[in-house]
Amino acid sequence: MNREDLIDRVLREGERQADEVEIFYVRGQGVSARIKKGVLGTAEESETWNMAIRTVRDGRIGFSSTGDPDRWRECLDAALASGTIAAPQQWGGFPKSAAIEGTAYSADPNLIVEIEDAAGMVRDLLEGAAEHPVEVIGGAADLARSYLGIANTGGLFYGMERTVAAVSLEAIREQSTGYEFDASPFPADISARATGEMAASLAARSHGGRDIETGRYDIVLSPIAAASILGQILLPALSGRNVKAGRSFLADKIGEQIFDERLSVYDDPSAPGLGSATWDAEGVPTNRLIFVQQGVLDRFAYDLKTGYRYGERSTGSAVRPGGGEPGIGVHNLFIDGPRAGDVGEERAVWIHDVVGAHTANPFSGDFSVEISNPFWMEGGEQTEPIRTAMFAGNAFEMLRDIGGLGKDDRRVGRLTLPSIRLCDQQIIGT
Amino acid sequence: MAEARYYDIRCTKGEITLIDIDNGLIESAGTSYFDRTVVRVLGPEGWGILTRDHVDIDSTREIVALVEEAARLAAVTGDRVDLADAPRSLLPVPPLTEDPRDIDLEEKTRMLAEIEGAARIPEVVNTRARYTEGIDSVRFLDSSGNEYSYEAVRSGFSVLAIASRNGMMQMGSERDHTTTGFNLRGKQDLGRKAGEVAVSLLGAKLAKGGSMRAVLDPELAGVFTHEAVGHASEGDLVREGASVLAGRIGEQIGCEGLVIVDDPSLHEFGFIPVDAEGVAVRRTEIIRDGVLSSYLHNRETLAAVGDGVPGHARAEHGAPPIVRMSNTFVENGDAAYDEIVAECRDGILLIGSRGGQVDPGRGIFQFNAEYGYLIRGGETTDMVRDVSLSGEILSTLHDITLLGNDLKMSPGYCGKGGQTVPVSDGAPHILLENATVGGRGA
Repeated sequence: MNREDLIDRVLREGERQADEVEIFYVRGQGVSARIKKGVLGTAEESETWNMAIRTVRDGRIGFSSTGDPDRWRECLDAALASGTIAAPQQWGGFPKSAAIEGTAYSADPNLIVEIEDAAGMVRDLLEGAAEHPVEVIGGAADLARSYLGIANTGGLFYGMERTVAAVSLEAIREQSTGYEFDASPFPADISARATGEMAASLAARSHGGRDIETGRYDIVLSPIAAASILGQILLPALSGRNVKAGRSFLADKIGEQIFDERLSVYDDPSAPGLGSATWDAEGVPTNRLIFVQQGVLDRFAYDLKTGYRYGERSTGSAVRPGGGEPGIGVHNLFIDGPRAGDVGEERAVWIHDVVGAHTANPFSGDFSVEISNPFWMEGGEQTEPIRTAMFAGNAFEMLRDIGGLGKDDRRVGRLTLPSIRLCDQQIIGT
Repeated sequence: MAEARYYDIRCTKGEITLIDIDNGLIESAGTSYFDRTVVRVLGPEGWGILTRDHVDIDSTREIVALVEEAARLAAVTGDRVDLADAPRSLLPVPPLTEDPRDIDLEEKTRMLAEIEGAARIPEVVNTRARYTEGIDSVRFLDSSGNEYSYEAVRSGFSVLAIASRNGMMQMGSERDHTTTGFNLRGKQDLGRKAGEVAVSLLGAKLAKGGSMRAVLDPELAGVFTHEAVGHASEGDLVREGASVLAGRIGEQIGCEGLVIVDDPSLHEFGFIPVDAEGVAVRRTEIIRDGVLSSYLHNRETLAAVGDGVPGHARAEHGAPPIVRMSNTFVENGDAAYDEIVAECRDGILLIGSRGGQVDPGRGIFQFNAEYGYLIRGGETTDMVRDVSLSGEILSTLHDITLLGNDLKMSPGYCGKGGQTVPVSDGAPHILLENATVGGRGA
């Protein structure tokens, strides 16, 4: 049975036992060339196929998935069985087919999934790293293409392609490490050579850092450091499910000035990016969503299930990491605002990345992390490396009054953001 | 055909059952299926690795084609890899006290709901509990004629409570996972504890940052061991020049009497009957009496680095094996808990773990406690929240001044190279001098 016939068969079979059935499937292919100790050490190729089934009967949602097409009947039965246990809820149906506007900038027709191409990117990474006196300890170049499809018993049937080109490199000079990475649907967007050079430069320049005394300092979070902290704390707080469940710090603050008026936060699924999509993981058309406009909280993100349950509309924010059960997420989240002057002009501590962001408290916003590749910054330049320190703060408090946004917007996974200057923050030195 | 010096094939198929209860509502409860195979071929230089869904491992024709394809990949590599010989054996899998497959989904959901309900005490505004059950059926064969198969059953849960007062939110969480059978019966006390911790934290202070004496409880000291020593002793990081412990075998890197072990053969959450390359597993003493004595190895890193024990290769479903920890712990010393707190005099007692992370090349690690108490005059006093610690691998083990006598293991998951595997960590209570505490309190 070919794949399309299988989808149709599962829908028809499922419909006999449920009010509605939905299938989400992914098939993909990827190659990865990995660097081991300065040379191409391992070459990998993978093929994946996964089918996720949801059934709805009397407002009870069932779910199962399988990586084995031969087990489709078992998977359908498991979804139906799961639906008998789930709590019933208000349900208004899966989406019908709609005229989808625009295009998703999520795939590059010219991207070829070949190990030789990935090996070429590894050569570029290593060439870039060779510009500085460091050892390369690891890294990788990945190329992948996947097809995502969604179909439901209401007649909806959408498909889209995604491509990813990604590079990373880790370098060391004595006890000073540097890590850099880049990823995009479009290979032309990324420069393996520049990524290799930046990682090596970080390791080389961080060597010989001096201690810093415990105290309060102005700091500049690089886009990577800001994405690590905000990804852990701000993103969950914008999820409608967390809001309605009483797990979001922002729950009762719609209309309030929660952040500095220079900060806006929005999801733009139509922008080119790793999460670019015209429909979400449930087949709901996506829209540009402004969560925070000039510091004022405007809205939260919903999927169908949370939306129907609490009388809200789906915002087209369903995502499926790994192709499994849908949840609420973001497509291409931007943290944006007016840029004035240079955030590194006056003396501050520049923080390239943080260690341990996942240990933050997402409900209170409190975190304390070790910082990576910190430098003293002045006159727009990273002048002198700092050896080691911790940074402790509260993500919601620190965004209430910022020192400014940099002009260096950067894509970090599904987030795009500039560096952020923050005043009077707690640094714990040695 | 491209040259293949060696190949192995590892097929993992099975089921994952998840139940998610959020604020008393059964959000989802169901079973999903997977069937992933990894084929590795060692070419003239390095590895070519293929991952596929649904491979018939008994079809010679299919295997030959996949090996040929992986050999083609291997041809682009330039890193000469050799494999050390290693002992082979398959340990018996511990018998299940109760097979989770014998209990129906409805019954499991009801038991999880009781744990979740127990967390709902006054001032708790949200409770959430998740049950995770994994049945893995593993088959392995290699070009040297080794072949084995086994089944691994894991069952456990986590419960989270969030308490709120005057706009402040705090959390408490507990978890328990085992590899020895169904694990939901009689666990309501863990739900209650999550609720109580969340409510107590509403009145806790922010810790003041700086350098001080710290007492770590067994769970946190286990995570400390995992981050401070475990990762840096992994043979792949040592080989790649990414560990500050490279070249230090025989060096005194910790206090006298300190013994740190990784033991995949223990029937704890990180148990494996054989490693992912078909190598026998055994207890490995990373540190003996304060001296670095062994790295953790797979066959490749043992050949390249030496000074250690193989049998530490592990893999997530459908991912190539890499060197990993399993059950990592500090052996007991002889100090009683009260003695440790009294000896601390002025400092901080830290309890539970929200995880940690390490940069093994730089030798710096960070880990986070769920909560703690200030110690004044040798007595525990005010409760504190949101406390992280950081440290430097090469100096921190010299700063352990007392080892307790109450070793306890805690289950968890560890991420490395994009793969997550079940592990357990443990230690007795320990006293640490010069701990860098990252708090923002005044």
